[in-house]
Amino acid sequence: MSHGRDDSEAGADASAPDAFEEDVLTLMPALRRYSRSLARSDTDGEDLLQDCVEKVLARRQQWRGVNLRAWAFTIMTNLYRNRHRHRALHPEVEYEEALGLVAEDQNADPLQSRRLERALERLSVDNRSVLMLVVIEGYRYQDVAEMMAIPIGTVMSRLSRARRQLAEAMKDDNVIALRRPK
Amino acid sequence: MTDEFNTVSEDELHAYVDGQISEPERRRIEAWLERHPDRAQEVREWQAQAAALQHHFASYARDSEGDRALVSARRGRGQGVASAPAPVLLRIAAGLLIFAAGALTGFYAPAIVSGDRLPETAENPDSLPRQAQSAFLVYASEVRHPVEVGSDQEAHLATWLGKRLDYGLKIPDLTAFGFSLVGGRLIPVNGTAGALLMYEDGSRQRLTVLLGRNSDNRETSFRIASQGDLETFYWIDGEIGYAVTGEVPRSLLQRVADACYRQFEGSEGS
Repeated sequence: MSHGRDDSEAGADASAPDAFEEDVLTLMPALRRYSRSLARSDTDGEDLLQDCVEKVLARRQQWRGVNLRAWAFTIMTNLYRNRHRHRALHPEVEYEEALGLVAEDQNADPLQSRRLERALERLSVDNRSVLMLVVIEGYRYQDVAEMMAIPIGTVMSRLSRARRQLAEAMKDDNVIALRRPK
Repeated sequence: MTDEFNTVSEDELHAYVDGQISEPERRRIEAWLERHPDRAQEVREWQAQAAALQHHFASYARDSEGDRALVSARRGRGQGVASAPAPVLLRIAAGLLIFAAGALTGFYAPAIVSGDRLPETAENPDSLPRQAQSAFLVYASEVRHPVEVGSDQEAHLATWLGKRLDYGLKIPDLTAFGFSLVGGRLIPVNGTAGALLMYEDGSRQRLTVLLGRNSDNRETSFRIASQGDLETFYWIDGEIGYAVTGEVPRSLLQRVADACYRQFEGSEGS
């Protein structure tokens, strides 16, 4: 009980975020959207987001001071990939099956949203990441190539495959939420 | 024939859809698409798809009230690594025994119960019981959104909050007292991520159980703090502080706290 009230000391105040934490906080909406666009449900998305934030903070020393957003997105993409691999080996109980697909938008057609979610389930992890980074997050192909450490040609072929598979799945009236093992 | 030299690649079509192309290129591709209705159809499909995806996920680009706690959650952790759980538990258990014995005989009341016997916490507005009481006052009165994750996802709730606290959280079962789980939420405690669990009985009377990382490695036996009709039983066990709060008779709250203590004991060692 020595100096509990003295908040003026540098680093003594546990509740005031430092500059790095402030930067992460400003990224939260973008990170939340990206994590949700990769995930199967709201719960799954929040889980991925929180793992990502943990990792970003744990590795803050490794950040080179350029483009925190892209760096955090890369960490998220890798986490998503690892999780998926892990999940394929140890299938989890699908507790969110009934809960996760709630459309936040009041005006959205719930059936249409569900169809879209199910169609997205058919995409491979890598194709889905590329699609979301380009279409939702607005990254340039070159940026995506750097973030994922792949040639730009691979970005293009993944994007193309994602678009075709998604279109195919959306056309299919009997989309069943079957997850392929790979 | 001109078309052969003036062809548009697949990559260019994607770049067209994604707007990653210069204005003259865009016009050239548009003209080409007019002469290739099949590809134009496909491009329209991709455009519609992109719009649907953007629309579908747009509402997720938002802050959440737990973000601040999440981002600051890492701090304060790591210093207080594994503080020899066994002796701590023994001491707590001893305190509990004394407490229970006192409760049986009605003996403990003046010694432990009065809040002003606790100089290190009672005056501090940020002390564990004060934070627990504020949380109770704020959240237990919420009708529609008292919790972030409901009891229908109890397993997920335990995993999620346990992960944020870095602690193998087991959610206490209080049905023996007529209280069932409403759910829980992430909440800042001592400036880092903590957990608030909420319970409710048949008459909608609510109880909360708050868990927070304890930065200064104290241990206490069971203590009680009151604020008006609000009672809080709390104890600190090395890394984690616990506080059970409710507007219920003290004797009931004490039994609930006792049950929580014994059930949390099994949570250690994650």
